[in-house]
Amino acid sequence: MAVCVAVIGKDNSPKFISCLNPELELQFHYKVHTSLDVVEEKLSSAGINTGDVRELYLGLLYSTEEHKIFGYVTNTKIKFIVVVESANTLLRDNEVRTMFRRLHNLYTDVVCNPFYIPGDPITSKNFDDTVKSIMVNNI
Amino acid sequence: MFLTDDNLLTMSAVPSGFDFPSELSTKPFALIGLTGLDTLNNAIHRTIWDAFSNNRRSDRAPVHFKLLGPAHEFPPPKAKRNTYEWYIPKGILKRNWMNKHLNEIPAVVAIFYELDWEDPQWNEKRIECASRVQSMRVALAGRNTRIAVVLIQQTAPLPTGEDMTAAERATALCTSCELNAKSLFVLPHGDHLHGYTVRLENVFYDLALNYYHHEARNVKSHRDQLNKTTHQYLFVRHQLKIGFLNELKQDSHTAQKHYLQAYNNLLEVRIVDTNNLEVKTVAGFINYKLCKLMFQQNLPRDAINQFRQHIEMFRNCIGPKDLAFEHCAWMSKQFSVFGDIFDEAIRQGLPALQTQHPGFYYQQAAQNAIERKTSCQELCKSVTEYPNPDPLMGAENLEFYGQRPWRPGKLSAEPPDPAKEKIGVLALQYKEKNTNHSMLIIGLLGSAISQFKTYRCPRMRRQLVVQMAEEYFSSQDYGKALTLLTHMLWDYRCEKWWLLLSNILVRALGCAFLAASVQDYVVLSLEALGSCAQLHEEEKTRVFGNLERLLKGLPPDPEPNLPQEEVDHARQLWTSSKVGDVFNIAIEMNNITGCIESKAQFTQPQYQADQHVTIEVYIRSCCPHPLQFSKLTVTVNNPTYSSEFAVCESSSNESGANPLLLFHKNEVKRFVCQFLPDVQDVGKEIQIGSILLYLGSEKGRCAILRFTGTGSEPSSVDISCPELQHFRPSSADMPDFDGIQPVATAEIVPRDSKLEVTVVHSTPALLGEWYPIKVILENKESNMISEMSMDINLLSNNEDPSLEQATQICESISDHIVSLPLKISVGNLDPNCNIQKLFYMRGHRIGNRNIMIKVSYNLSVGQDGLDNNNSCIKETTVMIPVVKPFDITAKFFSLKFEPIAKSFAKEPFVVMPHVSCVSPCSLVIENSSIELSGHIKSVDDEVKSQLKLISLKNGETGTEAYCVTADQANDQPVALGIYTLQWRREDTPELVTSSSVTLPTVRVESAPLFIEMCLPAHGWVRTPMAVSYHIRNHTTCLLDLELNMEASDAFMFAGHKQLQLRILPESVKTLDYNLYPLLSGLVALPRLRLTISDKNDYPVKQPQLTELLDRSLPSHVYVMPQGKGNPTPIAIPS
Repeated sequence: MAVCVAVIGKDNSPKFISCLNPELELQFHYKVHTSLDVVEEKLSSAGINTGDVRELYLGLLYSTEEHKIFGYVTNTKIKFIVVVESANTLLRDNEVRTMFRRLHNLYTDVVCNPFYIPGDPITSKNFDDTVKSIMVNNI
Repeated sequence: MFLTDDNLLTMSAVPSGFDFPSELSTKPFALIGLTGLDTLNNAIHRTIWDAFSNNRRSDRAPVHFKLLGPAHEFPPPKAKRNTYEWYIPKGILKRNWMNKHLNEIPAVVAIFYELDWEDPQWNEKRIECASRVQSMRVALAGRNTRIAVVLIQQTAPLPTGEDMTAAERATALCTSCELNAKSLFVLPHGDHLHGYTVRLENVFYDLALNYYHHEARNVKSHRDQLNKTTHQYLFVRHQLKIGFLNELKQDSHTAQKHYLQAYNNLLEVRIVDTNNLEVKTVAGFINYKLCKLMFQQNLPRDAINQFRQHIEMFRNCIGPKDLAFEHCAWMSKQFSVFGDIFDEAIRQGLPALQTQHPGFYYQQAAQNAIERKTSCQELCKSVTEYPNPDPLMGAENLEFYGQRPWRPGKLSAEPPDPAKEKIGVLALQYKEKNTNHSMLIIGLLGSAISQFKTYRCPRMRRQLVVQMAEEYFSSQDYGKALTLLTHMLWDYRCEKWWLLLSNILVRALGCAFLAASVQDYVVLSLEALGSCAQLHEEEKTRVFGNLERLLKGLPPDPEPNLPQEEVDHARQLWTSSKVGDVFNIAIEMNNITGCIESKAQFTQPQYQADQHVTIEVYIRSCCPHPLQFSKLTVTVNNPTYSSEFAVCESSSNESGANPLLLFHKNEVKRFVCQFLPDVQDVGKEIQIGSILLYLGSEKGRCAILRFTGTGSEPSSVDISCPELQHFRPSSADMPDFDGIQPVATAEIVPRDSKLEVTVVHSTPALLGEWYPIKVILENKESNMISEMSMDINLLSNNEDPSLEQATQICESISDHIVSLPLKISVGNLDPNCNIQKLFYMRGHRIGNRNIMIKVSYNLSVGQDGLDNNNSCIKETTVMIPVVKPFDITAKFFSLKFEPIAKSFAKEPFVVMPHVSCVSPCSLVIENSSIELSGHIKSVDDEVKSQLKLISLKNGETGTEAYCVTADQANDQPVALGIYTLQWRREDTPELVTSSSVTLPTVRVESAPLFIEMCLPAHGWVRTPMAVSYHIRNHTTCLLDLELNMEASDAFMFAGHKQLQLRILPESVKTLDYNLYPLLSGLVALPRLRLTISDKNDYPVKQPQLTELLDRSLPSHVYVMPQGKGNPTPIAIPS
């Protein structure tokens, strides 16, 4: 079960952040923001050995006492961040991957909306609801 | 960014607390005592001591030397215990033990003594030495310290085995000192002292290793006597000691093994409230040693794992609830110390990762320090005074590490005295309350920040800086907190993390209020009112209200959630005179995402000097409440100065606020600023420097909002996809602010000239002629033109760069050497008048010429009542093709008017120049002449032009003929000469041009003979006609020829039919014949034949002769029929 899901634009500005516990929103904003350090580093080091298709899933970015943070970057440099509680040991890597893949599909739907201007924060009820259900149901 | 990590650190001087003892953290070295050296009075001893103790580099043996005085006292050894059966340990680790072995009990004592083998007082000295050794033994009684004797000698030693006295005396000395022969050393004082000391040092080191090994075995031997029920502490203590001794022995592997055992033994100890602190303290020590050794052995993963397990193990051993802060302090210390050793390992060359570096541990340490602070605030708030008597007395001198001073050496099994316990806790709480937690936290955060910077985690660093600011805030250092926060605002703004930005804004606004910083308060307020700040509507209303109060000269209301006493203090600051004064604050709006945005543009990329420059300024407010400004100005910069233009100003009386400058929420307004450019700016670029908006009244409090007008403010709109911004809806009745493209620069260009320049000429120009070009200047300006001048220049041509050299331009033909550009001054010209100027161009090569005529003048404009002297320029370009007037070809003919390809020396031939007119206009040939070269001579004495005054139209050709001879044969073709034509256009009689062409060359061959036939133009039937042949010998030989005159049907003739001729060199033979024509018409003449006698060396060959005859002699003649009447004889030409 994820506790926070974030979509970050290519300029590293937040496009969408949702967390299960709204009281901790600020804390998660900081967490997601700091995790971008690792994303940037991974992207810049991946840039050196280009050639084959880059793996979009970045894996575990870093873990703290309370949380594990996973990352995923699309080819257009849109970043997805998922925060999972460290206590949740049941979650397997494969499930995290599936979560990201679903998020990517969802994001694609948002961008396909002709009324959405790319680069704007995402304000979509459907996206919001589906992300919430992904977080809760872990699918 | 002024914020460096250096000053972050200096901002946070770290106070010590809960520090690890220095004996734990220093690297253990074997201790070696040196005695018998009088370093104060004896120079030799001094140098020896220096050689041992100085320059302890890493390549030297890992030992530590200690200088012992003559009567040094060592700590007395405890009585040896035979059995541990009844012994109950009072604690885990004694405080003095490590220090004792590090600094007080040497592994080896070296006794220095000055004694030469040949010393005259050998015996006395031997005895004295022995007594010294003996007294040292006594001092070290009960210890296993190794003793060595070093003899300082003046004479250099002989090789071993050669000096019999030395060997003998050494044995004697050993015996009297009861010393092993291997422990006696000789130190020759003199050369190579360093080499000797290094060797001695290594020997001492070996002895020391031996000692520590022995000691460790000694401790180990106690193990059998211990039992698990009562001696749990000893299991820990003994393993720890063995580990430490091994460390002294520099055997880190074994040391690590024993430390680990000690640690595991410690984990078996049951932890209760009374021994909690002691166990944790010792656990921390052992863990520290373990991790440090693991890093030393390059096992960073093991070290990190060990540390994780350690933390995991003790995380929940909080101990007594009233002292929870103590546990937090301990945790914080564990993390920070691990960070330190990790950092040290990195400095020794260990590579670290972005995700695994000391910063995380410092951060965690800071986190724990924050928890400590929280728990302290909770637990210690009621403590007001320190208990008397001091229960913490003697805390520095406890026998064991980690015990409580009010119940030292008590075993955990004994129940504590509740009253004493309570007082002790109270004392600790009181101390804790007075600890400066913020400084501790800030120090740790500072360490973490510098680590995160090193490992490229800028965002993590930012978050920590915000936390640090938070700590400064709570330690009431609002200035520093504000500085840090405002710096961080910038970074979060750039990446558009508005929630974080808003959070920091609120905190910073609080700081600014408490620090009574007007400038920051206004800036932060403006940003808080902006659309990016995610604040509640009520919050924004409050901020807006405060901003209004401030501009009216009233102190703002306090921010919420601030401590009351601080608010009171801040109120005083606000009302104090410093703040109350009239002020003007300049605010750089492009540094913040404020509630006011502005864009400005020039309406055109270029303005003419007499045109009004127009700047459009768009201003948008997203302040939720109406904002009234008092003034709007625009500054315009050019390279040398800047000028300010007021766009919109409130009327002078204070009461009338300008409704144009009142902005409602999301309102966009457009302002126009117009001005005439300065004449000096012509050709330069002007730039919008800034847009200034005045908030508040200029006479009272006023904030000047400065925009760059480029719209580069980090606004909410994502500018990464500008092409998509058109899709953004904007309200129809307002300018589309997002769609406006700022144009910050414009060029001032000279005004368009109204002078009319007409160029009249009859194209094309002909090659070589002075081609007149007429320029008509007509003043269509409304004012008089003065100081007009024309610059005429030839534009360079890319295809033919040398065309300029083949062109001449001049004003009058007489002085035609003028360098370009040609300058013609024209003078003044009244409106609607015109003036004509003529100039000439001559092209020496065909091709197109581009001529630029640039007219510059001054126009006195009395525009707008200003006496403006405008300099204007008008440029015109004319393209003039230059073409050939004539095609001149020359052809050669024989005297028979047959075209010839070659001529013969001294034989006349005809040159005919053909002049064909290719000019589109008719040309008149004034004269023509031929100038022959040296080898060619004219046959006629007087040569007259046959083309004189002939007019040729396009396509017509004129021809004339000249009869010339070449005087001698030549291998090379002979130049004939130059043909010159003087011509003019039919309509311009005065401009005569002379064109010359070189006539073609002709081959001249030699001819040995020249035959000429004198023949009348025609004859009459039956009328005799006289004919003569002249045969000329051009050779230098005598020619023998045979002449034959062939008979002809058409003639009868008189003369030689056959003749042997003999012609002298350079002489002429003339043969006369009388022909009597029988037939009329064009009849063949009797053929003259010349043959040569068959001699080989003859200069003349037969074929040559035949060709000569064919060429020179006419073959036919016209014979007229006989008219009526008497025939008249035709005179024979002479």
